[in-house]
Amino acid sequence: MIQPQTHLNVADNSRARELMCIREAVPNTPLERSEVITAVIISTRKELKRDNGMIIRYDDNAAVVIDQEGNPKGTQIFGAIARELRQLNFTKIVSLAPEVL
Amino acid sequence: MISDIVNVIFCLGNCVLLVNLRRMRLEKCWFCSSTVYPGHGIQFVRNDAKIFHFCRSKCHKNFKMKRNPRKVKWTKAYRRLHGKDMTQDSTFEFERKRNRPERYDRNLAENTLKAIKKIDKIRSDRASDHIKNRLKTGKVQRQKEARKQLELGIHLVKAPLALAQDSSLCLPKIKVNVSQAQTEENQPMEE
Repeated sequence: MIQPQTHLNVADNSRARELMCIREAVPNTPLERSEVITAVIISTRKELKRDNGMIIRYDDNAAVVIDQEGNPKGTQIFGAIARELRQLNFTKIVSLAPEVL
Repeated sequence: MISDIVNVIFCLGNCVLLVNLRRMRLEKCWFCSSTVYPGHGIQFVRNDAKIFHFCRSKCHKNFKMKRNPRKVKWTKAYRRLHGKDMTQDSTFEFERKRNRPERYDRNLAENTLKAIKKIDKIRSDRASDHIKNRLKTGKVQRQKEARKQLELGIHLVKAPLALAQDSSLCLPKIKVNVSQAQTEENQPMEE
């Protein structure tokens, strides 16, 4: 359950280390400390339910920093990623991910 | 288990629907080793991308408590480790994790289903034999002790007068003429 004020780990090699969720959608740009940036959540500690009845839970809440179009800011991604990202058209992230589960 | 991606094509008049049914796989619970059927249990993905399947919240909670399944008595891991259950058998080799999906072949599927039933029966028979053999020594021991107890406690079964008249030892199976008061003293004897 990612809410505003939730701290998220950053799973790529953009220079962010930790994010705090402010709100759920769009805005802004470059990458400095206490900048407002967009990130997409790739794994949650809260279970995810899938249509085939599978329930998945990850070990941490992680996010990947993205830009306006949804392309990741970094060049590498660490850790496993939820398959839902493929359906949401985050193809670049999915292709960089070491494992999609 | 053979698992395949099945492409089912429905023809409804002019319209052709292509339904891609997703692969189904029966997993093993990481904690208790029982099968996890689709729609059951939780999968946990650790940060090193190792997946743990759990069949129910009991196993999941035990995992969160960091318990070692090899030390928890009701798990298959414990039972196999301590020789309670059969570990090595040729029937186990039929069930292996196969990652290549096979093209659907009706004959193959039919034969596999038949084989699964048969192998299952053979394996469970062998497993129960294993347990029976394991318990045999205990059973023999208990019978021996029962016999000894009968010898020592024959005065509880037969009236001393009757015993004096007929000194041969009577085991419970042989009918003995005892009065009502005597039969109540039979209770402390083991079954």
